[in-house]
Amino acid sequence: MSAAAVLLRAVSVEAGKARILGPIDLAVAPGEHMLVAGRSGSGKTTLLRAIAGLARPSAGKIELFGVAASEGPRLLLAPERRRIGFLFQGGALWPHMSCARTLDFALRASGTPRAEVARRRGELLDWVELSGYEERMPGTLSGGEAQRLALARALAARPRLLLLDEPLGPLDAELRGSLLARLGALQRELDLTVVHVTHDPDEAAALASRTLRLEAGRIAAEPREALR
Amino acid sequence: MSRPLVTVLAALFALAALAPIAVMLARIGSGDLAGLFDARTFTLLGRTVVYGVASAALALALGVPFGFLVARTDLPGASFLRPLGLVPLLLPPMLLAMTWTVLIDLRGAPAAILVSGAATFPLVALFVARSAERIDGRIEEAALLAGGLRAVLRVDLPLVAPAALCAACIAFVFTVNDFSVPDYVSWVGPKFNVYADEIFATWRQHSEPGRAVATALPLIALTLASLLPALALRRRRGALAVQGGDFRSPEPLRLGALRWPALGFAALLVILAAGVPLARLVWEAGGGQRGWSADGFRSAMGRALERSRGDLANSLVYSALAASACVVLGLGLGHAIERARRGRWLEPLALLPIAVPAVLFGIGIVVCWNHDWSARFYDGGGLVVLLYVGRYAAFPILVMSGAVAMLDRSLEESAQLAGVRPARRLARIVAPLLRPALLGGWILVFVFAMRELDAAILVPAANHTAMFRIFNQVHFGRDDFVAALALLLVFLILLPGILWSLFGRRRLELLP
Repeated sequence: MSAAAVLLRAVSVEAGKARILGPIDLAVAPGEHMLVAGRSGSGKTTLLRAIAGLARPSAGKIELFGVAASEGPRLLLAPERRRIGFLFQGGALWPHMSCARTLDFALRASGTPRAEVARRRGELLDWVELSGYEERMPGTLSGGEAQRLALARALAARPRLLLLDEPLGPLDAELRGSLLARLGALQRELDLTVVHVTHDPDEAAALASRTLRLEAGRIAAEPREALR
Repeated sequence: MSRPLVTVLAALFALAALAPIAVMLARIGSGDLAGLFDARTFTLLGRTVVYGVASAALALALGVPFGFLVARTDLPGASFLRPLGLVPLLLPPMLLAMTWTVLIDLRGAPAAILVSGAATFPLVALFVARSAERIDGRIEEAALLAGGLRAVLRVDLPLVAPAALCAACIAFVFTVNDFSVPDYVSWVGPKFNVYADEIFATWRQHSEPGRAVATALPLIALTLASLLPALALRRRRGALAVQGGDFRSPEPLRLGALRWPALGFAALLVILAAGVPLARLVWEAGGGQRGWSADGFRSAMGRALERSRGDLANSLVYSALAASACVVLGLGLGHAIERARRGRWLEPLALLPIAVPAVLFGIGIVVCWNHDWSARFYDGGGLVVLLYVGRYAAFPILVMSGAVAMLDRSLEESAQLAGVRPARRLARIVAPLLRPALLGGWILVFVFAMRELDAAILVPAANHTAMFRIFNQVHFGRDDFVAALALLLVFLILLPGILWSLFGRRRLELLP
């Protein structure tokens, strides 16, 4: 059996003296699309940030595809070396870069040869249906377009794991449907493992292979088969 | 940010800013501390505290309403009055003292308090304006629906109060460490002796660094005691916005019938604090009491330019170089303060050069570099640049750390996950987004360096700067020449701000 894409053992995250996540044990299988649901403040975003290496756990161990990523507060694998795509809440688009520059910058940073950049940028824009938007600035994009650009950027480094933090939050029902369809297609095409945080588990239920519910930083309902 | 880069920048900061202080502290001998706690010390310290508190209170009383009015209300001409209100902060305080001691028959402590309050009120206004603009519009709308303008003010004022008090603390520090205003006031009237004067006098009398440092210790303690609350207040942002986060700009508040009295207050303040001193310089340069004429004015300006071209050029070059170096330090270290693990310890260290009296810092630079092996550097302009960097790098560091704190962290994290290296993230993501703060930090250092006198007075090459020449000539009574040179200096000080307001599309971030 191949190693879990994400494996958390007794992981806790603290802010000051308050524990905001954990201790949590969790395994996500390769290719799985796992929904993480819960109320605001339940620790969903912190879970994603710990997996990405953006938040340092106070205790526990995190492995990604069989490689130790962190042990206690020590980061064994820097965030940029984890091959993770992260779709931030609100997109976190760089407001001073056009769509093309955003993707070129991300592609170059991830080691794409200069000669390849234009082709890959076209491919990414195609995937998220933003061809023709190259010169548009983030401030001129609609909510759905901005989220799709953020998704394209997250995919630029050819991640194995995609972390989605409330990706559908600001979108209306029609846009949610179209972005979800896009996500499902991309996950299959790129063989991605997805951890998808939402406060509304129904919105992405069709894509999800299972749903995890967090309450006050702890797993409230966890499918038994998840732990290996 | 990468550790090697932070280490290099921290080492440069230590060399420019901390080494002179460390060298001075190391010179204190046990004998130097004798007499530190005598009655004279306490009298001087008490007088200095009263002077500082009264000036800061005046700055607060003028700056809070001015800042709020020009930033957040439908005050007629607010966009015009707002940059003009900055001018008194940019003028060397000694020039304000020269004006007001001529126009009003005030001398001694009241004159010094009036001048220092007028010179520092724009600082309070700036802090209040920026803070008031970052109140989410929805918070105000909720208050407006609940109880009109009065309710809005009751919601807004507690939100801007930390910023106003922070600015008042900094105004206090500026005042108690300034030596030029009490010195000038004492020259034209009865002696008004404050602590900064005492340190300079001790150095002049005894030429013993240890004695001068020991004399300064109470003032350093006093300054730190004011800066640390300022630092804490700076971090209390409460409901204020983060760049890149969910934020709705507040709408201008309608003043109704109060519009015209408010305009009267704001315009009068600008006229008195900026217009009158500048007009007085123009009058003095054109002949003053001997009779003003355009020819006389032209002739004085021509003479000032001809005789002081070298000094003006030196001021310009030294200040521009120092400002550029400070901005690089500020970006790197300011970012580290906010984002690096344990970066916060840098913040109180960054404050130290501001906490040390300028005169003492100047003595520290002299003690550090006055050796045979460094003689060439000691006599050259490089030392002046180093002095300015050491003295003023704290401002861009604090401006940048404040700006980074307002920047949505996920903008950098997304670049990090894309594989962008730390230095490149700083250069390509952080720096472009904080361009107004970078330019603001540059202008702040440039302005302070151009008007620097207290520390530079001790460094040989700084004796060939425009501000030093003005200081020298004041005592020879050459009023038209001094006024013309002061006008040229003021023009150069204001130039970057004028250029930015003409061609820049965004408002400068000048504040820590």
